[in-house]
Amino acid sequence: MSRRDRMMGELDQDIREHIERETQDNIERGMPPNEAHFAAVRKFGNVTRVQEDTRKVWSFVWLEQFLQDLRYGIRSLARSPGFAVVAIITMALGIGANTAIFSVVNAVLLMPLPYHDPGQLVSVFTQKLQDGIPFDGISYLNMEDLRRQNTVFAELAGNTQHELTLIGQGEPTVVSTAGVTPELFSLLGTAPLAGRTFFSEDGKPGAAPVVILNENLWRSRFGADPGILGRSINLDKRAFRVVGIMPAQFRSPILSNKQDIWIPVSQDSLFGNWLGRRGGHWMGVIGRLKPGVSIAQAQAQMDTVSARLAHEFPNDNAGWRLRVQPLKGVMVGDLKTELLVLLGAVGLVLLIACANIANLLLARATSRGKEMAVRIALGAGRARIVRQLLTESVVLGLLGGVAGIALAFWGVRGLATLLPPGLPQMHAIRIDGGVLAFALLLSLAAGIVFGLAPALFGAGPNVQTNLKEGEGQTGESGWRRRARSILVIGEIALAMVLLVAAGLLMRSFAALVSVSPGFHTEHVLKADIQLPRFQYSTPEQWAAFANTLMTRIHNEPGLGDSAIGVPLPLDEGFVNLAFEIGGGPTTPGTAQTADYTAISPDYFHVMGIPLLQGRAFSDQDSMSAPRVTVISAAMARRHFPNEDALGRRLTFGFPPDPPVTREIVGVVGDVRDVSLSEQPGPMMYVPFAQSPFWGGQLVVKSTLSTSSVVAAIRQDVHAVDKDLPVTDVQTLPEMIGVSVAQTRFRTLLLGLFAAIALALAAAGIFGVISYSVACRTREIGIRMALGAKSAGVMRLILGESTRLVLLGLMIGIPAALGLGHFLASLLFGVRAADPLTFAGVAVLLAVVALAASYVPTRRAMHVDPMVALRHE
Amino acid sequence: MSTKEQTKRIELLQGTLDLLILRTLLLGRAHGHAIAKAIEFNSDDVLQVEQGSLYPALHRLIKRGWIAAEEGTSENNRRAKFYRLTAKGRRQLDVETSKWSKLAGAIARILQPAEQESQP
Repeated sequence: MSRRDRMMGELDQDIREHIERETQDNIERGMPPNEAHFAAVRKFGNVTRVQEDTRKVWSFVWLEQFLQDLRYGIRSLARSPGFAVVAIITMALGIGANTAIFSVVNAVLLMPLPYHDPGQLVSVFTQKLQDGIPFDGISYLNMEDLRRQNTVFAELAGNTQHELTLIGQGEPTVVSTAGVTPELFSLLGTAPLAGRTFFSEDGKPGAAPVVILNENLWRSRFGADPGILGRSINLDKRAFRVVGIMPAQFRSPILSNKQDIWIPVSQDSLFGNWLGRRGGHWMGVIGRLKPGVSIAQAQAQMDTVSARLAHEFPNDNAGWRLRVQPLKGVMVGDLKTELLVLLGAVGLVLLIACANIANLLLARATSRGKEMAVRIALGAGRARIVRQLLTESVVLGLLGGVAGIALAFWGVRGLATLLPPGLPQMHAIRIDGGVLAFALLLSLAAGIVFGLAPALFGAGPNVQTNLKEGEGQTGESGWRRRARSILVIGEIALAMVLLVAAGLLMRSFAALVSVSPGFHTEHVLKADIQLPRFQYSTPEQWAAFANTLMTRIHNEPGLGDSAIGVPLPLDEGFVNLAFEIGGGPTTPGTAQTADYTAISPDYFHVMGIPLLQGRAFSDQDSMSAPRVTVISAAMARRHFPNEDALGRRLTFGFPPDPPVTREIVGVVGDVRDVSLSEQPGPMMYVPFAQSPFWGGQLVVKSTLSTSSVVAAIRQDVHAVDKDLPVTDVQTLPEMIGVSVAQTRFRTLLLGLFAAIALALAAAGIFGVISYSVACRTREIGIRMALGAKSAGVMRLILGESTRLVLLGLMIGIPAALGLGHFLASLLFGVRAADPLTFAGVAVLLAVVALAASYVPTRRAMHVDPMVALRHE
Repeated sequence: MSTKEQTKRIELLQGTLDLLILRTLLLGRAHGHAIAKAIEFNSDDVLQVEQGSLYPALHRLIKRGWIAAEEGTSENNRRAKFYRLTAKGRRQLDVETSKWSKLAGAIARILQPAEQESQP
């Protein structure tokens, strides 16, 4: 027995003796024994309070009371399982959604990049704002000059991405390859899982080709064979010796998330040839700042180097500025706004959930008024009651939180399928300790937030009234009723904000996907074919391969409408080239640019791009014929206004080919090739036969099923070369779907949150109105007894909910207007203050609110006056 | 003396009850009921203590070490719990008493000046 328990035992005995003595005194004074005892008890005062006050003297009381409240809270929740289940589900929705979104925010925005000392890492890039180019890469030679001419970087490394064909070990496959300068690994400071990373000798010209595998590829393709180290694998029909394996979660920064292997960029079949060229912005450069060097200092030096490069090599560098920015910021980019908007939205959902539970608790507090009055009469202090009620709501919050965390585990898995593919640190999204702590803190805070008002109201009832009234028939006190109304009004206002945000995003998304891309997508599918450049090394071979393949495919039944295009619009990238009007050489720095696509003759027909003027390409436009080009309408408008573009000449070339002068033979309709949200810019098309490429995208328009088209293509490709993989098969609608994945992601999530908010708000209104009807049953009965018609009663009840909705909208509309500008950068084709969205949402909310009050209103209209009055 | 104790004593009623208990026990050990009676009797029944509130105060004083509890036999030969002043409590009583007189004096001066001013 503890010291405290002993003290308490003794206290009880003390009190008993005290009262006995007082009784004895009273008897001696001449009172009858019975009365003497009661007088003694009265004089002593409230025994329970004395015991509690004394117990408080002996500390530990806080913990003891907490455990007591906890037990009591759980018991009282168990007594009303319906209430508990509704509250826990509501809470679980709020906490679950917040936890899932927070896990994304945590991985993408909060967690440091998974490299050694990531705060010192910067992205070095070039820009040419006067031409509208905010972010571009750096050529190898410029990077090497920068490496020599700076004093701010401890290390500097470049990387770029390319796809190579891996042959052997089963089906030929395309592996996503990062071509890197060898310093990249020491700069990032991530240790290999096995073997080694690159030495600087590996990057020297003439070095033996080496490769580092990603753990995932090593496991999936090579069966996690440790003996792979030192052996050679076949990439683009060339042997690369495996020197190391990097852990699965390692990524070269700034490149896409899919990275199967790393090779020295000097060994890359494409970029290896570009190392000696000053022009071309093809390498992403990462730097590690020396300790103590600030971004501003580094930028100042970049400006000096930019000026020197522009002076020494004006052809390639004039007008370009080198920039330095923290790597993290560059990787996160515009996702920050996006994720914060989503986090804000789930925060609002949680607030609505809290308001709903607070409302339930308030209703419960009313029906528990008698319980509280009894407890106060028995000596419980006000603070004690507040604490007990708060403990109950915190228990509720934590139970909801635990359910919410379970929900979030499931939600994060669901999110993974929704996330836009380019999300940095995607693989780091999970529910870890930090996220769990966030969820628990949030549920704790939520428990306090939704418990506070009901606890304060619950602790302060008028003891007399409550004891007399019992379960409270004439209704809630004015205060509590007002509190419930305010909560519902707040819910409606918050739901309004969320619905407006979701509505705006949905309208944006609808506007975006209804934008015509400028080409037909129905029944068209695409497939990628890449030629290994060591086997197919000359443009003649590329052209010959394409020719043989297309002849075979055109002969397949149902595949007559097929063509090649490199690159396809809205696919993985676009090519933007400088051009010069007329026959002169391009003057760097002042050159205009246009997007470039090499196509086979049937391309415009397959893609449904209209020919506006002149002619399309034909088989006659071969390597031996005069060079020709077809331009887009936007290009004709911008560069040949008020004149005929046909017959004019353009000079341009796709690196590493030198610029060639070509005659414009046709003008075609505009297409959106960069993104659906961007106005179509100028485009130049060239015949694939005159500017061939090592592979490309096949587009096929066919009414056959996708699988039979793909099977036919595979068969034809393998008939030409059995080692060629056919990859990235998609229908064009799917391809466009990928290009709007990020927009779809935010729209879907915000829509989902708004739907939850609407449901919660409807439940809130239903609760308040039902409760109000239940409390006013007697009043309604009297009114009906005095001759009120049921239509009048309906007006009475609907009037109440209408008032709530109107007040909610009065707050919600300005709030939504005020918060709209956070969304502005995410909107397309719709203003943040779009009247249609606002009106639509307001009507939707009003209709849902009235629908939610339908059932309680009907109940009120069917009140039987006799029953209601007898209810007393 | 810790600051915590000083702030506690700002609560006049509680402090006053403590003082009265200490003062009562100066005369010798007593059980709870006797202390309550003594306070009522000595103040000519002016101070009607709700008797129960005595016990939290007693326990507070025990915790501070100003009084001690001990088992004993009462006048009618029954076992009872007796409280007695400790040495520390005796010193505390001096402090409390002088503080109380100062406070009483100060309050008296605040309430009196009207008379003094009217009689220059």
